[in-house]
Amino acid sequence: MIASYSTAIPESNLLSRWEVRHKLVGLLALIFSFSFIRELWLLPLVILVSVVIYRMSQLSLAYYWSRIRLPGLFLLMLALMLPFGAGSTVLARVGPLALKLEGSLSVLLIAVKFLCIFSLVLVLFAGTPLQKMVGALRSLGLPALLAEMLIFTNRYIYQLLTDLRQTQVAAGLRGFKGRSVKALKPLAYIVGTLLVRSHNQSERVFQAMTLRGYGEESLVLRAEQVRTFDRLALVATLLLAAGLVFLQFFFFPTS
Amino acid sequence: MHIPDGILPVSVALSGYAAAGGMTWLSLNRINKKFKNPRELIPRASLLTAAFFVASLIHIPVPPTSVHLILSGLMGVILGWFAFPAILVGLFFQAVMFQHGGLTTMGINACLMGIPALLAGALFRTRRYFNAESKVTNGLLAFLGSFLAMGLGALTAALLLIYTIPAKLDVAAERAAIITLAGAHLPVALLEGVFTALVVLFLLRVKPELLEMEEK
Repeated sequence: MIASYSTAIPESNLLSRWEVRHKLVGLLALIFSFSFIRELWLLPLVILVSVVIYRMSQLSLAYYWSRIRLPGLFLLMLALMLPFGAGSTVLARVGPLALKLEGSLSVLLIAVKFLCIFSLVLVLFAGTPLQKMVGALRSLGLPALLAEMLIFTNRYIYQLLTDLRQTQVAAGLRGFKGRSVKALKPLAYIVGTLLVRSHNQSERVFQAMTLRGYGEESLVLRAEQVRTFDRLALVATLLLAAGLVFLQFFFFPTS
Repeated sequence: MHIPDGILPVSVALSGYAAAGGMTWLSLNRINKKFKNPRELIPRASLLTAAFFVASLIHIPVPPTSVHLILSGLMGVILGWFAFPAILVGLFFQAVMFQHGGLTTMGINACLMGIPALLAGALFRTRRYFNAESKVTNGLLAFLGSFLAMGLGALTAALLLIYTIPAKLDVAAERAAIITLAGAHLPVALLEGVFTALVVLFLLRVKPELLEMEEK
């Protein structure tokens, strides 16, 4: 199921009101600091920080669960393979397979980091409208071409998705089942048609946009006003991130 | 092929961002040199990016299951130097809409898909040295480019995962993991190759200008 770019966090929430550039830098610093952790004893701290921020966002657990299902499959695959394939200390035997300590601990480390980073990614995206996110990325140095591509692509994804569904329904009504490898050719033609339609539409869109003055100057996205709260929240998250890196680097340099 | 967050060491994730930054700079630089007014091409590149994003959601039946194609090779063929920015945009929306892929790994994922896409595009454009109108030439180059793009990306992703996980795999497990991952991706790479060739042959008949955007 496609989830549109929506803001699931209420506008009144503190995290929604946090100026986007500061939020982006702060949360990204935390995400990368989580990624830096290699020591199991630091995981409770990582979990605590994630839980506090996720609770602050007012996002529900049901929301978390609905979003984790697809990316969680990769984690599940890893959790099934790694404890039996990595390491040398055998914990238990399950038939011909040996459950190993090092592999199990690796899965624990990866899983906690993955789940905690995931919660922060949800908070970051669910509390920021796309326009503001692109504006913040642009002011942080994202090239104008990429920023405009992000805005335009977002504008047309849903329309093209509707087009694709209509084409699939029409093909289905004409007897196309698409359940065997033989469906490859008609599916390739459906994709080809989608590309041709998009190309034709882009020419019309460009002409219409030129009439409205597009091309004269680069897309301007208004910068938000920065308050003391934004700066303080940024400093707090940067300190947290630096603290985690410090703990990992100085107390467990060889792990 | 989408490496999620939390698996790769931060040094690899940051190197991925540096490499993706370099590739983006190179792509934009080539686009600016090649086209008089690159902004004119943004609506077209964006609409095609959206089309590729939507097309990659189509289930391709491989009984008893079905797979999603990545279409990076086809993006390289049609979008040329725009393929790398388009893949970055696609990865951003995948992270936003499905939380698929990762934020720390976006750079590395962009390189895993974007660099092979550019290579597939370059390979396809060698058709001008052969018979550029021939169905066989177009079909074969599209198949080869897309097959190699998928294969190269999947193999690099597998090697990265195997050599960077926190626990050490023994030699036998390492070999088994590489063979399993490569074996699992081989049919998908073949499928990508055939699918891309079919789309290219369709476009050659219906809208050949789409295949010539980068050659102008």
